[in-house]
Amino acid sequence: MAIHDAVRAALLFLAASLASTASAEAAQPLELHSDVKVDKIIVAEGQSKHVLSEPDVVVPGDRLVFRTAYSNTGTQEVTDFVVTNPLPAGVALDPSATVPAEVSVDGGQTWGHLAALFVTDAAGAKRPAQASDVTHVRWVLKSVKAGEKGEVTFNAIVR
Amino acid sequence: MKNPTKHFSHRRLGAACGVLPFLLCSAPALAAGVKAGVLIENTATATYTSGTATGTIQSNKVTVRVDELLDVSVAGLTSSLAATGGGQAVLAYSIVNTGNGPEAFNLVAVPAAVGNDFDVVVNSIAIDSNDNGTYDPGVDQVLGAGAATPLINADASLKVFVLVTVPSEVADGKTSQVTLTATAVTGSGTPGTSFTGAGAGGGDAVVGQSGARSSAEDSLRVEAATVSLTKSATLLNQFGGSTPIPGAVITYRIDAAVSGSGSVGNLVVNDVIPAGTSYEPGSLKLDGSALTDAADSDAGAASSAGIAVQLGTAAGGSTRSVTFKVKIN
Repeated sequence: MAIHDAVRAALLFLAASLASTASAEAAQPLELHSDVKVDKIIVAEGQSKHVLSEPDVVVPGDRLVFRTAYSNTGTQEVTDFVVTNPLPAGVALDPSATVPAEVSVDGGQTWGHLAALFVTDAAGAKRPAQASDVTHVRWVLKSVKAGEKGEVTFNAIVR
Repeated sequence: MKNPTKHFSHRRLGAACGVLPFLLCSAPALAAGVKAGVLIENTATATYTSGTATGTIQSNKVTVRVDELLDVSVAGLTSSLAATGGGQAVLAYSIVNTGNGPEAFNLVAVPAAVGNDFDVVVNSIAIDSNDNGTYDPGVDQVLGAGAATPLINADASLKVFVLVTVPSEVADGKTSQVTLTATAVTGSGTPGTSFTGAGAGGGDAVVGQSGARSSAEDSLRVEAATVSLTKSATLLNQFGGSTPIPGAVITYRIDAAVSGSGSVGNLVVNDVIPAGTSYEPGSLKLDGSALTDAADSDAGAASSAGIAVQLGTAAGGSTRSVTFKVKIN
């Protein structure tokens, strides 16, 4: 019966997708932990140095360092590991610091090196993208071995 | 507050400018600073493949509350205001809250400044309540002694007026400056100084680059005028000579010269008919034009007692000339 077959196929598909979701959640071999610090430039004896501190007092113009630590706590290597971080409202990517290799200026639809990206302004003119145009940053790692740890960071300025 | 755009490296801007029209080279202006109390929240997401399964995990959310930045900029709006000795003057200033939260400011007007020819007396400070740029007595609120402005929102401005009295007896062309200083009520001092829990939006307040204090000067210039009268006489007798004999006619000329950058008001030239002479009816003239003897709509009036010419307001640099004739009895 055609209808019976279709219902059975749908049920099988549903079961399969439930199983796949369950196994992915069960595995969860990775941990992500984010934090944020204020990057103050302290000038002492003519030398300026960056000092990271807790973001107790933050005002526009301050530099922030957002860090995400990852850790493969499972027993298996994971591949195609991609950490994506939408830029929080109220900050702009800091162009004076190292900019992540892959950024997006269109809400995460297209990605590339900042220097290769363009934005269209209100008048319809295309111009090279600037750090303040960045909406998302991401890091792509081919693999994270079992037990491997690392961290990714980006620097931003409070608008 | 700092403008993040200034951190662009010259190399990157240079490269961009090399291939694009000049206009596109300027960095776009960023929106006004993040308001005090705003929460900056960040979460990262990771996707991965483990064997044949794919997974997605999220990091914890980190939150930073933006504190209040205390910054202010005062600008003088009145320059070289024309004032008169003994009169009142209104000096206008603009106060811009360049911080990121609503803030009130204490105002102090100081009439003494280096280089002042004279100092005015500050009577009061008023805010431009109806925001029309002009001081309206009874409408614009006068701040009581020691009272601060109302809260000014971030990036908003408030016009204020300093009402002063100019001392009398100030010579023409003398100038004076009045300094208005605005200081954030929450606190001021060395940039970076923070006031725990005092910020708008529940956070701290931090003194910005301005020190949360700013000053500007307005200036005024006294315009005064003085009048000098010069009287001359020409005698012509009935024989064509200049011997003063009965029947000879004397033409008197009075020049009223006004000098200075201001003007004088209600200027009236009076003269009496000398004893032993009689006014020649119909001889009164102003700047060569005849005036009637009757006290009527024209400027002049003359009688056997004397003459009077109403010159009204006369500006500095002008000279009016009154002539009349008498006959020796």
